[in-house]
Amino acid sequence: MNLPENIPWCEKHRVLCFSDLKGQDLAVDKVNMFLKNFPKKKAIILHGPPGTGKTSLAYVIASELDAEILELNASDLRNKEKILQIIKPASEQRSLFKKSKIILVDEVDGISIKDRGGLSELLAIIEKSCFPVIITANDIWKQSFNLLRQKCELIQLKEIDYKTILDLLINICKKEKCFVNKDVLTSISIKARGDIRAAINDLQIISRLDESSLVKEVGERNKEESIFTSLQYIFKNANIDAKMLNIFDEVNMNIDEIFLWVEENIPLEYKKEELAKAFDALSIADVFRGRIYTHQNWRFMVYEYFLLGPGIAASKKFNRTGWTNYKKPSRILKIWLNNQRCAKKKTICIKYAKYCHISTKQAMKDFMLVKIILRDNNIREKLKLGSEEIEYLDKHM
Amino acid sequence: MDFKGSDVWTERYRPKKFDELIGQDEIVKRVKSLADSMNIPHLLFAGPAGTGKSTLALIIVKELFGESWRDNFLELNASDERGIEVVRQKVKDFARTKAMGDVPFKVIFLDEADALTREAQQALRRTMENFTSTCRFILSCNYSSKILDPIQSRCVVFRFRLLEKKDVKKVMDRISLGEGLTINPEAFDMLYEFSEGDCRRVINLMQATASISPNITLDLVNTIVSQAKPSDIKIVLDYALAGDFLNAREKLLDIMLKESISGQDVIKAIQKEIWNLPIDNDLKVRLTEKTGEAEFRLVEGSDEFIQLESLLASFILAGGK
Repeated sequence: MNLPENIPWCEKHRVLCFSDLKGQDLAVDKVNMFLKNFPKKKAIILHGPPGTGKTSLAYVIASELDAEILELNASDLRNKEKILQIIKPASEQRSLFKKSKIILVDEVDGISIKDRGGLSELLAIIEKSCFPVIITANDIWKQSFNLLRQKCELIQLKEIDYKTILDLLINICKKEKCFVNKDVLTSISIKARGDIRAAINDLQIISRLDESSLVKEVGERNKEESIFTSLQYIFKNANIDAKMLNIFDEVNMNIDEIFLWVEENIPLEYKKEELAKAFDALSIADVFRGRIYTHQNWRFMVYEYFLLGPGIAASKKFNRTGWTNYKKPSRILKIWLNNQRCAKKKTICIKYAKYCHISTKQAMKDFMLVKIILRDNNIREKLKLGSEEIEYLDKHM
Repeated sequence: MDFKGSDVWTERYRPKKFDELIGQDEIVKRVKSLADSMNIPHLLFAGPAGTGKSTLALIIVKELFGESWRDNFLELNASDERGIEVVRQKVKDFARTKAMGDVPFKVIFLDEADALTREAQQALRRTMENFTSTCRFILSCNYSSKILDPIQSRCVVFRFRLLEKKDVKKVMDRISLGEGLTINPEAFDMLYEFSEGDCRRVINLMQATASISPNITLDLVNTIVSQAKPSDIKIVLDYALAGDFLNAREKLLDIMLKESISGQDVIKAIQKEIWNLPIDNDLKVRLTEKTGEAEFRLVEGSDEFIQLESLLASFILAGGK
């Protein structure tokens, strides 16, 4: 048996039931619908950025159904023979055991063009299977997955916000009886950028190091290297070649994060006309991103990626040389810092907003007037402002 | 007033009966007749800020339920809780239980409903149907175009108009009388101009000004207004026209964060500022067009700041240095 220390925390603390799965309510609902309607559709694809709980969700489904999981990794899915050997018997033998089964094909985007046989056999399996097939993937929008997408119910898992991650980390700390400074936990949560697994891994390392200053060293490293290379390619080359078209394939980040990196660094490379052109491309890419959200039309991602890569590259006429020290996106951090600084202002605004039947946002916007009105002690009492809030108001007269 | 002692004036002087509401006579007449029949359909109030949407909703429930209005009324603000969770949890939980008293339904007021995501609106639509027998919805929004058609078709839509100067005057007179203020005419004009017909804003301005002195003069108003105005967006544009993108960008973000203003507000300020810039007329026209395009994209897109940066880049180009 393994000693507890030897199990990675992200495995040890995997969730066990739907209600423990944080931040993915919509996906959970969709899964329940799928199970209810099974076998109308035989398979689901859980897709989303790394560490958002795809595999966890699959295991939760199994435990809720009291089913046995037959798991295949991308690395197992190398060829037709292998798939036949593993899946086929499993999907056809129904009543040998009493337990129901779930076939889990993890990380299907690992199947490359070379494994075409594997993909078509997977499709056949879905046809024939008498058990639900669960497929997980980071990016399901490659053309080679067209057929697969048609056969399956698509369920998207969203990036987890940092507060949810923070709560999770605090919980794990309690269970592991380790003490980590809350600031460090917050910093880990923010840095994880929606990836729970990365956050838990970082926490485990930090808890051993017991050196909060080392938090900066953990994680992020690989992510940065790959985005640096891609940025360099986009900003230095004016030609659009095959590599440019798929420039972000190798970058281990979601597209929103890539947006921030490109945004931050455009002015370091481009001036005047090029600058205007590049930001125009970025702006239209963002418009497509907005359309994807509002209309749920994922086809538009093609344009989003194109404008973000080749679109930015084509803003200049000639190749350029030289080395540029690309910067990390700073906007999100600034917003976060500002929120920390304004925490008191916000709690005041929440109270004022409730009292005056307006939104907190509106109260924040009106704060220059509101704070003058709140000089009045009677009104402070009516809003039940706390001593720290009053102190904030007196300080910011 | 029933008691002495200060209060927030927007609340103290919030109209409590139909005939106290100023500037929306037609709407009040129709809504009143609905309320008198002790039955209302779902309502959608569309119109600019500070024109009386929330006030009318509050009057309706007070008329319907009398003393027990608090038990039968749920107020939510969609811009604070814009996810699908609001609709699913709070609304459902509230709509599920029976109304207390004589009126057979409860009322949910969903303020700033145009801030709800599409998903949430879809969910809301079903909820509205499922609980019609026990629950009525009053939705308010600035732009009815941002409300899904199927929701609009389930509501009676009322369009609130901006308050005219004479309406704003009435509101201010009522408050001056209640608080014992004197407001000289130039001060009144300034207050009105800065409020842009937004009643809540004008009342807040009055209260802030009166906190210094009950004799409100133009100078006094100017002091308060200059404090309350969003920081000069001109500094950002100056940087941009001088070709300094990085500083323009940084300053812009600072202003937006510090003063909690939205991208829309920034665009509005830029659009007003262009005509004061030291540049050629044809350039002003082109930049105004760019600003309009940026505002359009800002509504369509997902990240306001990127759209603003793109606009700043146009200013850099116009600066030509």
